Amino acid sequence: MKTPWHFMTAGDWLVVLFLLTAALAGIAWVAAAPEGTRVVVTSGEQTLFIAPLDQPRSVDLDGPLGQTHLVIDEQGVRITRSPCPRKICISMGTARHRGDLLACVPNRILVHIDSSAEEAPYDLLSR
Amino acid sequence: MPWNRPLIIGLLVVLLALTWWRLQPEDEEIRRSQLMMGTVVEIMAGGQGFDKLDAAVDAAFAEMARLDKLLSSHNPDSDVSRLSQSDHGGDVAAATAEVIALGLEVAQRSDGAFDLTLGRLKSLWGFDQETPTVPNRDALATALAGIGPEALSLEGQQVNKRAPQLQVDLGGIAKGYAVDRAIAVLKQYGVTSAAVNAGGDMYLLGQRSRRAKHPERFWRIGLQHPRQKDAVLETVQVRDRAVVTSGDYERFFEQDGIRYHHIFDPQSGLPARGCQSVTIIADSVALGDALATAVFVLGPQAGLLLLTQYPQAEGLIVATDGSLHTSPGWAAYQVTP
Repeated sequence: MKTPWHFMTAGDWLVVLFLLTAALAGIAWVAAAPEGTRVVVTSGEQTLFIAPLDQPRSVDLDGPLGQTHLVIDEQGVRITRSPCPRKICISMGTARHRGDLLACVPNRILVHIDSSAEEAPYDLLSR
Repeated sequence: MPWNRPLIIGLLVVLLALTWWRLQPEDEEIRRSQLMMGTVVEIMAGGQGFDKLDAAVDAAFAEMARLDKLLSSHNPDSDVSRLSQSDHGGDVAAATAEVIALGLEVAQRSDGAFDLTLGRLKSLWGFDQETPTVPNRDALATALAGIGPEALSLEGQQVNKRAPQLQVDLGGIAKGYAVDRAIAVLKQYGVTSAAVNAGGDMYLLGQRSRRAKHPERFWRIGLQHPRQKDAVLETVQVRDRAVVTSGDYERFFEQDGIRYHHIFDPQSGLPARGCQSVTIIADSVALGDALATAVFVLGPQAGLLLLTQYPQAEGLIVATDGSLHTSPGWAAYQVTP
């Protein structure tokens, strides 16, 4: 008796192979949907600010020298104003990849891009 | 039918399902903050159509700014300031009357634990100033003279004061009312998912919208631990509900080793000592605001008794000794670890 495989033509095998590959690629595509990345700003051991990278906003952050102005937009996050003398932090440009870092040493502001593959445990804090 | 056809069809279905899932449009989410009502007000709105969401958030902020002008005791032209300055009261805007009506109702049901006439007492303690101080006994007695649930009465939009010296203070409820109104405006614009958060007093409309890799779900709200600054006491999940917390850790100072906070017992004029924090989940932020204060002043036992009069509200109380007390329906909101 012939097994079912004997009914498969070369063309059938080709179609099955194509669909199987496409399905596996699709699964990988879904799994690789953009992960939530976030901007974390710290000063010393203190976390000053955490925000999603995909939500445009600007914020003033207080440091010992004054306010550092941070902008988050579609390009990433960058420092646009700073009270520090040499403005090195501004010249560092835009950070957008996981692990990227912006730092204003005189004003003790550290900005880094973090990845939050897991959702935060809560959306808002009631206090 | 040859047996290989179902296999091919099955694979096609899988492929189509994956493509549909991946290409489904994600909701947009707007998040904007403004300083108003003495705190940071943040509005998040999610859904389809950025321009619509943007216009809705603008209108919600405008409504809150309008109410701030009416209800703030720091604005000399507000209804509240005019009432405090007058000898007998006067006409107020419909919104002010609505706030006062709710406040008086909670004041009466709580036997005066919530009070709308603590303006002089709050000025005396000076929590709004740089250096708050502990008043002496005589000054406290003077500030408390004439206050109580009967100190104000309301007929339509006419507010009557029992004594000329009474200073009206809606601080315990005005912020919540403004959040409620902001939510009403967002709804008028067709927004179905939003959060309005005024310094921790918040309303969560609908569900948290669908974002990258995360499906639509209930809002998850962390509750501040009253004694551990960076810790969350517990997390609740809600939709179409207000979440309000009052705690003794937000504004306080220490003098002679004693901690003085800003939630006053109207009977003594001193900070209430029965609780560390109270969280209320209710159908409006204004009610949640008033109940959180009243329950804090009453303490765990009497506070839970008060909540039985409000089936639309549930509460979590952290007593002074750190023990937790909850109303019967609280567990429905808890996130199971």
